[in-house]
Amino acid sequence: MLSIKQLEFSFPKSKSVANKNDANFNTLFNVDVNAGEILSVIGPSGSGKTTLLNLIAGFIQPSAGQILIDNNDISGLAIAKRPVTSVFQENNLFPHLDVFTNIAIGIEPSLKLNESQKQQIFAALENVELTNLEKRLPKALSGGQRQRVALARALVRKHSVLLLDEPLAALGPAMREEIIDLLKQLVEAEKMHALLISHQPEDALKASTRTAFINQGKVLKIDNTKRLLKHSDLTEIKNYLGEA
Amino acid sequence: MPYLKFSKILVISIFILLATFSNAEIKPTLNVYTYSSFTSDWGPGPKVKEAFEKECECILNYVALEDGVSLLSRLKLEGKNTKADIVLGLDTNLIANAEKTGFFAPHQQQLKNSSLPEPWTNETFIPYDFGYFAFVYDKNILKTPPNSLKALVEDKNGPKILIQDPRTSTPGLGLLLWVKKVYGDKAAEAWRKLSPRIVTVSKGWSEAYGLFLKNEAPMVLSYTTSPAYHVIAEEKLNYAAAEFDEGHYQQIEVAGLIKSSKQQVLGKKFLSFIQSETFQTIIPTTNWMYPASLSSDKLPEAFGDLVQPKQALIFNDIEIEENRKKWVREWLDALAN
Amino acid sequence: MKIGIIISLFLLAFIAVPLISLFGASDLLSSQKSTIAEMWNSTYFRRVVFFSIWQAFLSTVLSISVAILVARAFTRLPRFPFRHLILSLFGLPLVVPAVVAVLGIVSVYGKQGWLPLGENLYGLTGILIAHCFFNIPLAVRLLIPTWDTVPEQHWRLASQLQFSSWQQWKHIEWPALRENIPSIALLIFMLCLTSFAVVLTLGGGPRSTTLEVAIYQSLRFDFEPTQAVILALLQLVICLTVALLATRFSKLPDVEPNLNSHQNINQVQQSLGDKITQPLFIIFATVFVVSPLLAMFIDAINGPMLEVLTDGKIWKATAFSLFIGLVAASLSLFIAWFLLNASAEASIKNKPILSQSMLLSGSIIFVVPPLVIGTGLFILLSNYVNVFDWAIGIVILINGLMGLPFIIRTLGPAIRQHKMQYNKLSTSLGFNAWERFKHIDFPLLRKPIGLSAALVATIAIGDLGVIALFGSPETTTLPLLLYQRLASYQIPQAAVTAAFLLAISLCLFWLLEKVIGGKHAEH
Repeated sequence: MLSIKQLEFSFPKSKSVANKNDANFNTLFNVDVNAGEILSVIGPSGSGKTTLLNLIAGFIQPSAGQILIDNNDISGLAIAKRPVTSVFQENNLFPHLDVFTNIAIGIEPSLKLNESQKQQIFAALENVELTNLEKRLPKALSGGQRQRVALARALVRKHSVLLLDEPLAALGPAMREEIIDLLKQLVEAEKMHALLISHQPEDALKASTRTAFINQGKVLKIDNTKRLLKHSDLTEIKNYLGEA
Repeated sequence: MPYLKFSKILVISIFILLATFSNAEIKPTLNVYTYSSFTSDWGPGPKVKEAFEKECECILNYVALEDGVSLLSRLKLEGKNTKADIVLGLDTNLIANAEKTGFFAPHQQQLKNSSLPEPWTNETFIPYDFGYFAFVYDKNILKTPPNSLKALVEDKNGPKILIQDPRTSTPGLGLLLWVKKVYGDKAAEAWRKLSPRIVTVSKGWSEAYGLFLKNEAPMVLSYTTSPAYHVIAEEKLNYAAAEFDEGHYQQIEVAGLIKSSKQQVLGKKFLSFIQSETFQTIIPTTNWMYPASLSSDKLPEAFGDLVQPKQALIFNDIEIEENRKKWVREWLDALAN
Repeated sequence: MKIGIIISLFLLAFIAVPLISLFGASDLLSSQKSTIAEMWNSTYFRRVVFFSIWQAFLSTVLSISVAILVARAFTRLPRFPFRHLILSLFGLPLVVPAVVAVLGIVSVYGKQGWLPLGENLYGLTGILIAHCFFNIPLAVRLLIPTWDTVPEQHWRLASQLQFSSWQQWKHIEWPALRENIPSIALLIFMLCLTSFAVVLTLGGGPRSTTLEVAIYQSLRFDFEPTQAVILALLQLVICLTVALLATRFSKLPDVEPNLNSHQNINQVQQSLGDKITQPLFIIFATVFVVSPLLAMFIDAINGPMLEVLTDGKIWKATAFSLFIGLVAASLSLFIAWFLLNASAEASIKNKPILSQSMLLSGSIIFVVPPLVIGTGLFILLSNYVNVFDWAIGIVILINGLMGLPFIIRTLGPAIRQHKMQYNKLSTSLGFNAWERFKHIDFPLLRKPIGLSAALVATIAIGDLGVIALFGSPETTTLPLLLYQRLASYQIPQAAVTAAFLLAISLCLFWLLEKVIGGKHAEH
């Protein structure tokens, strides 16, 4: 289980080190994510969703709190040492590398692969339904295909935490559904702990049994997605859904 | 607005500054184009100016260029609009070329008590001093100088040298002719051999000699008379000119009057002054050359100890004029390798 | 807009007339085909052409490779002490006159210097050092913004994927740099190819002469106009080729790049080797850039200050230089103002081609070496007048026009934006031209105007190019005086002169920028 305990981040008064568009106030998070679960994270823009993911990935440093994976605290680890894979909204792929290589650097930055690693990559490509596209450059792929390559990379990395920072935002509705299905499969199969930030409540409905609502840097509520979206009495959630 | 006021003040102050430098002159001015070592503080320039201005009721104005050959180039660049009245500092190697430009008027002077080795027959230029090119060295640093040009050229481990550019400087041109005289068709090859030991090719004599005095190289192309300077002015006995078996190339320095000059009378007066004892006695201890019209008993004592070339080497004017361009190109090609 | 077209035509004529005079002169000499044949067969001239390109190539490769290391270190160390100050210092070589830099380099690497290279300094080594002094800081400043074009997600991926330093370079940085490097490299190549003062002072011997210097020597040493014409035409062809190549890549980089620190790179894992070498690169580059200037000032303070500063020559030269700088800047600004306004107007009226052509007519002089134009003018004028009497006027004219490309880059975008924002309003208010300039245009644009004036004046003051061709003992500017002292190896006197020239340049820059630019300028 991934569990975030009293994770605090005090925003530096000077320049932003975190995501420019995200929260600019202090945050405090408490969240648990089960193995094989995709926990959706929703909330108004600037509420701190990306800050949460940045804290877990280690892009920014918490001022207090713990990030426990099966009771091991990773909050002190360097970025690269954390068992974490991130997928962003865009720029997940290096434009000058083909699909295969883009996945391969996920396992072996030196690109010196052994046979089994190559097989792994082909298997991952098959998993994300991109067989035979391994020679393509990112610019020759559709938006959905690019995100699938990013997922394939997440797959081969076999890290237990998957952070999805609006990976669906640039995609059309049909494509989103496809990717969500794929995500669910992969997370389930690999027993990963996934956090999915999404701006579309429908995505959360489709992807997650549970959803966390974040507001003003705090997790206001974690609940069954349907219950949270459809039957919540919280005015903050109502306002948010009204906006969205 | 403040910026307007400021720029006004700036412009006005610049004009005032410029105006102070172009002070009105009533006396006629004689413009003399010459090389920079002539006008330097220790050169003949200041004394000559003082002496001549005493008797001419005029202002003697020097325009100092790097060295002798640049004088001729400058004259050609200015063409018929030149402001020069007198050009002082060309030498025998440039006479034919200078006459060909047609810029110079005949000197129409009676030559007085010439002390030149040969009689002077040129009707355009007046000689004012002469000398022999030589490599000068410091006896304390260079114990065994080469005893011939060939020895200097052939010895791969020979001393490094400082020379001047034949395109700007008369000693530079002199060395070019010296090598040509000694090596003939093999001159280019000789230059290629010498090339690695040339520390620098300077534009004028003063630059090269200045570097030599700063110990940038053990030998410098200068004159057999240069050591006299160190003896007389500095009381240093350690400088000497290396005597070469093949003989030394001779240079006679001359002055001429520009045909289009408005100061014809004043100009002729200056040419005549050049031959006067006043001018001639200034030369040995300022320009450090043999004066062209002064009997040898009036020379300073130190001149007696100088190297006397076994043979004075020289090309005739016409031969130089026909070949100078070609030979300079040959020199450039050889050193570019 | 009419006035813009007239100015454009004038500018083109100013470049065309000397070039036509060159072609004319070369035609006149066609009877002397032997000259070309002779030059073709001459080892010397082949060496000159080879050396011009070779030294420019080496300078470019050296500058760019060192600059990449340094820029990379800067982006990785956003909190390096004095980072901002160092980067500002790196802007300095743009306004340091080339002869001053040469003197500084002699102070450091000369025989009496801190790090004596001995005789090797004069020739290729010295030329390369000087070109690196100018171009490493330039390239660093132009390269740093490239790191900002890397999406921050890539850096985050790199940190998760545990890229080594080499992998970061290979997968992230090089692909981003690859697009910018050709244009920066061509800019530097062009600057080195046409560099005159550096080669004149540190090279110039038969083995280390470039076309630019050979043109000068052909005129001033040999009085061989034929030769000068042929060399000038050859130089023109090479420069135009380089310029055409450059246009195939992106346009020339900005003069005032954005150097704000990058915020994401420092998260990427750095090996111990990196941690040690990165600061060293910055320190090395800083020392390399600062040491010549520092050595020069120290030499100047220990030098014969009184002797040099009480000599009338230096003050006369200062007066000439200031005059040249201020008049050239005014001329340049005057032309640029009308040209840029006309161009902006054309652009607003949806005539992009006309608008761009006007800008191009002002920028084109950048690819024609000033010495080539100078030679053309020299040959043209020498038929009628004593060219040395015209030195100051010609130097002002050429320097003023050389400044146009800089002004177009600094002032152009500001004028265009200003025009778009306020044109309708100002027109509706019914100002006359002067009122509009005084109340609207100047107050809003004074900052870029001040910067432009400062740049052009400073560059003109320090220029040793055209003045070397036309200068004479009667018209000696400060850079020429400095060159003469340097050429006669009066290093202590030269150091004082150089420090004086640099001080004057910087004061003028600061004054013009502050006085015209104002303290509380808009934008």
